[in-house]
Amino acid sequence: MNDLNLHKKQKPLVFTLLFSLLLALLCFFGPSHSLAYDLEKKVLKYELENGLVVLILERHISPTVSFYIRHRVGALQEGDGSTGAAHLLEHMLFKGTKTIGTKNYRQEKRLLDEIRKTGNALDHERLKGEQADRVTIDRLSVKLRHLQSQAKALMVDNEIDRLYTENGGVDLNASTGQDVTSYHVSLPANKMELWARVESDRMMNPVFREFYSERDVVMEERKQTIESVPQRKLMELLLATAFKAHPYRRPIIGWPSDVQALSMDYLEWFSRTYHAPNNTVIAVVGDVDPVKTLGIVKKYFGTISRVNLPPLRITAEPPQQGEQRVELLADANPYLLMGYHKPTLPSFDDYVFDVIDALLTRGRTSRLYRTLVEERGIAESIDTANGLPGSKHPNLFVIMATPRHPNTVEELEAAIHAETEKLKKEPVSPRELEKVVNQFRADLIRDLDSNNGLASKLSYYEAITGDFRYITRHIQVVESIKSADVMKAARTYFVPENRTVATLVRREKP
Amino acid sequence: MIMKRLLPALLMAALLTPFCDGFCAPPLPDPQRLKYPPLTFMPPEPERVELENGMVLYVLEDRELPVVHVSAVIRAGSAYDPEGREGLAELTAHVMRTGGTRSMTGDEIDDLLEFTAASISVSAGSDAASADLFVLKKDYDRVFQIFSDILIHPVFDERKLELAKGLKIEDLRRIADVPQRLAFREFRKVLYSGNPRGRLSTIESVGRIQKDDLEGFHKRFFLPRNIMMAVSGDVDGKEVIEKFRRHFAGWHDAGRVHPVLPPGEKHSSPIYYLHKEGPQSTIIVGFLAPEKKSPDSYPFTLLDFIVGSGGFRSRIFQEIRSNMGLAYSTGSYYEGREGYGVFGSYAITKSETTGTVLARLWQILQDAGRRKVLEGELTWAKNAIVNSFIFSFSSTDLIATQQMMIEFHGLPPDYLRTYRGRIEAVNRDDVLRVAGQYLRDGRATTLVVGNEQNFDRPLSTFGDIHKIDWK
Repeated sequence: MNDLNLHKKQKPLVFTLLFSLLLALLCFFGPSHSLAYDLEKKVLKYELENGLVVLILERHISPTVSFYIRHRVGALQEGDGSTGAAHLLEHMLFKGTKTIGTKNYRQEKRLLDEIRKTGNALDHERLKGEQADRVTIDRLSVKLRHLQSQAKALMVDNEIDRLYTENGGVDLNASTGQDVTSYHVSLPANKMELWARVESDRMMNPVFREFYSERDVVMEERKQTIESVPQRKLMELLLATAFKAHPYRRPIIGWPSDVQALSMDYLEWFSRTYHAPNNTVIAVVGDVDPVKTLGIVKKYFGTISRVNLPPLRITAEPPQQGEQRVELLADANPYLLMGYHKPTLPSFDDYVFDVIDALLTRGRTSRLYRTLVEERGIAESIDTANGLPGSKHPNLFVIMATPRHPNTVEELEAAIHAETEKLKKEPVSPRELEKVVNQFRADLIRDLDSNNGLASKLSYYEAITGDFRYITRHIQVVESIKSADVMKAARTYFVPENRTVATLVRREKP
Repeated sequence: MIMKRLLPALLMAALLTPFCDGFCAPPLPDPQRLKYPPLTFMPPEPERVELENGMVLYVLEDRELPVVHVSAVIRAGSAYDPEGREGLAELTAHVMRTGGTRSMTGDEIDDLLEFTAASISVSAGSDAASADLFVLKKDYDRVFQIFSDILIHPVFDERKLELAKGLKIEDLRRIADVPQRLAFREFRKVLYSGNPRGRLSTIESVGRIQKDDLEGFHKRFFLPRNIMMAVSGDVDGKEVIEKFRRHFAGWHDAGRVHPVLPPGEKHSSPIYYLHKEGPQSTIIVGFLAPEKKSPDSYPFTLLDFIVGSGGFRSRIFQEIRSNMGLAYSTGSYYEGREGYGVFGSYAITKSETTGTVLARLWQILQDAGRRKVLEGELTWAKNAIVNSFIFSFSSTDLIATQQMMIEFHGLPPDYLRTYRGRIEAVNRDDVLRVAGQYLRDGRATTLVVGNEQNFDRPLSTFGDIHKIDWK
C-alpha cells in the first residue's frame, strides 16, 4: 500500500493504527524445524495468579531489552456510537497516572471531576445538533477552558514519555487494532524496573489528563491518516461495505461524530474492564535474567486484581450472497481494492491463504506481479493481505492494485480474475510451493535477529491464539499444504458472490 | 514499642490483602528515584581491510544465525544526476537489480533469489547509493556471485529499463494524491533551490533517459574506490577477505568521485504556498544546518532534540500537539550530512488553524535563538541521547554498517567512542549559539501546502508569498 511513513526522520509518529498491513504481514512467518524447536524451548511462559501471562526470552547480543504488553481488547469491544474508544484510550494512557504526571493528585482530581462533568454537559448539548442552545454551549466552553487551564498548573506534562526517553528508551509506541491493543518500548537492559513501574501503574491507575484536547488530536489524526489519504479512505469504505453486521465494519480510529463525543466515563469503564491482568499478555525479550525478570513482573503486576470480563456478544457476519461494489470520488488517481471473506486462524484455510498470498504477490516472480506489472505493464503496484482488518474473527483476503495510466481499474480487475481463475483450474507446481515454504522458513530466521520483532510476535500470537507456538508450528502446516488445497480454497472463496470491490475514481472538476 | 504497634498492622494487612488487592497495594516507588545496576558493554569491533584496488571492507563475524549480510555504500546519488536527466541515479540502481548481468538474465536472478529466499536490493538516495544482500549461509556462494556481478557487470536490459521508467512515471503522476508526500517533496525543491539536490525527477526527465545514460552512470560511479562494504554474519573473516579479492580484484580502479557542492546559504525567507484541496495543511519550516563533521553538530543535535525531535516533551510536540491539540504529527528533524546539514520542523493541522500553528512554530524556533534552553531540558536531552546510544549496537549488521558509514562520511574512526563525551560536554551557551547561528530569521525556507481559502489568517501576513505549482 502507500507509504504512510512520511517523515523518515520523525521519531514519534506515535499511535500507529494497526489497522493496516502490519499484523497481516506477521502471518507470513515460519521457521525451520531446528529453530522452531529452539524457540519453543527457549521461551519461558508463566501465568501469574491474577491471570497475566508472561513470556520471557533471553538474548544476549547487546545489553538491551524489548517489552510488549498486549491487551486482548480493541475496536471490537466498542459499543455502537462509541467507535474510536479503544484508540483514544491508548492515547490517554500516555497522560500519566496518580503518581506520574502530577504535582498534587488530590487537588488535581477535584478539577478533573469538574472537567468531566462540564465536558459531559457540553457534549450533551452539542449532540442536540440544530436544537442545541448556543448560549449554553458558549457558557460551558468558557468554563471548560478555565478548568483546563487550572488543571494544567497541577500537572506535569508527558511525564511517561520523558521518563522513558531520559532513561534511553527507544521505539516507545502503542497501537490499537480490532482485536488487540499494544504498548511497547525498548530499554537498556538495566532499566527493566522502570518499565514495570510505569506499565503496571498505567494498568491500575491511569489518569485522563487533557482529555478534550487529545480528542481533538485524534480528529487531526483521522484527517491526516484517513481523510487526506484516498487509498486509506477507500480501505475504510471496503471494510464498511464487506462487513454488514460484524463489528469489523467499523474503523479503528472511529467515525468522526463518535470520536467527537467520546466521554471520559466510557473510557474509564473500558480501561478498568479490559486492561485487566487476565486479559493481558507480556513479552520480555533481550539481555535479561529470567528469574529476576519474573520477580520484577510479579512484584509490580502481581498486585493488580483480576476482573470478571463481561461476556462479549459479537454479531457473526451472515454469508454474503452477491457481489458488492462501491466507489469513492476523490482528487486522486484510480486505485482498486477487492476483498473476499474467509475464515481466520487457526482454521486450515487461513494457512492456505498465507500460501496464496505469497503465490500471488510476494516478490517479482509472484504471479500477479509478473503478469500485471512485468508482462502486461498495466499495474504500477499489486499487493495482497491475508487477514484484514483483524485476526480474531473471520476476515478478508484483500487484493490492492494501482493501475498504470492509461490502463483502467476495470482492466486490472479482469486480469486479477484471470489469475484467481487459474488458481482454481491448474495445480500449483511443486517448485512454486517449495519456493513459498523456503521464504517462510527464511523469514523466521531473519526475524530472530531482533528483540523488538520477537517480543512483538510472541505476544501477538499468544494474545490471539492463546499459544505463542503458533509461530513455530505455522511452517509445519504450510509444509503440508498441497496444490489440491490451494485449488479447493480458491474455488470456495474466490467467487463473485463472496467479493466486495471498491474503486477510487477521480472526481471531475466542474 | 515499635514492634507492638507494627504487629497488628501487619496482621491486618495480611488479612486485608486478598480483599483490597490493587486498591491498597503498597505505594509504588518514585520512578525518578529507582536505582539501576550498572551497564557495561564492549561492542565487538569490525575488522577493516583495504583491497589492492582500493576498496574498503569491514568484516564482523557473528555465528548466532546461519545468515550473511552485506551492505555497500556508493558515492552516487540523485545529486549527481545530469541536468535534464533527473532520475538517472534512481533508474540506474533499479535496473542494475532487475536488468540482469553478463551471466544471468534479470528473470533468472529473480527466480534464484526468490527460490532461495535471499534478497538483493540496490537503491539511490540523494548523496549516496546503496546495495544490500541478505542470504542464508547455505546459498551464500552462488548468491554472492550474483551480488558482485550486479555491482560490476550489470546489463541494462532495454525491456527492464522501459518498465522501470513506466513505473517511475506512474509514481510521479500520483505524487499529489497524498498531500503530505507532495509537501515534503516540494520542500526539498525549495530548500535546495539552485543546488543539484533540489532538481528532482519529472515525467519529462525520466522519459528522456536512455540505456547509454545508465551505462555511463554506472561506469562513472561504481568503482572500487568509490564504494565501501560491510559484511557480517556466519562467516570467517579470512575467507571473506579471500572471497572479496576473488570477486572484486579485477575491478578497475579509476579513481574517486568528489562530493557534489553543498547547497548555498540562504539570504531571504520567502514563504512558498502550494494550493492543494483537502481538510488539512502541511507546514514545513526548514534551515540549512551544520554538517556531520562540524563540532556544531553536537550542540545542534541537542537543540533539535529539545525543539522537536525528542518525543512528547520536546517543545514543538508539547505545545502544538499536547497543549493546543492542533496536530497529530508535529516536531522536527536534523540530519548532518557531508558538507551540509538539514533541519526541518513541521506540523499537519486542519486548514482553519494553519495561521495559528505557523505563527506558533515560528515563535518556538525564534525563541530558541533568543533564550538559553533550561538546565533541566539540556540534562534530559543529554541523558536521552547518551542512554539510548547502546541501541546503535543492537545487531552485528548494524555495528559493521555503522563503522563503514563513519569512514564513508570522512569522520574519524573514534567517532562513536567519543560521541557520548562530546554530547556531554555541550553547555547551554553552545545550544544558544548554534540556534542563533543556524535558525536565523532571514534564512528560513517555509512551505505551506493546503487550501488558503479556509485558513484562519492570510499567509501574506507572514511575509512574501511565492505561489508554486507542483508540476
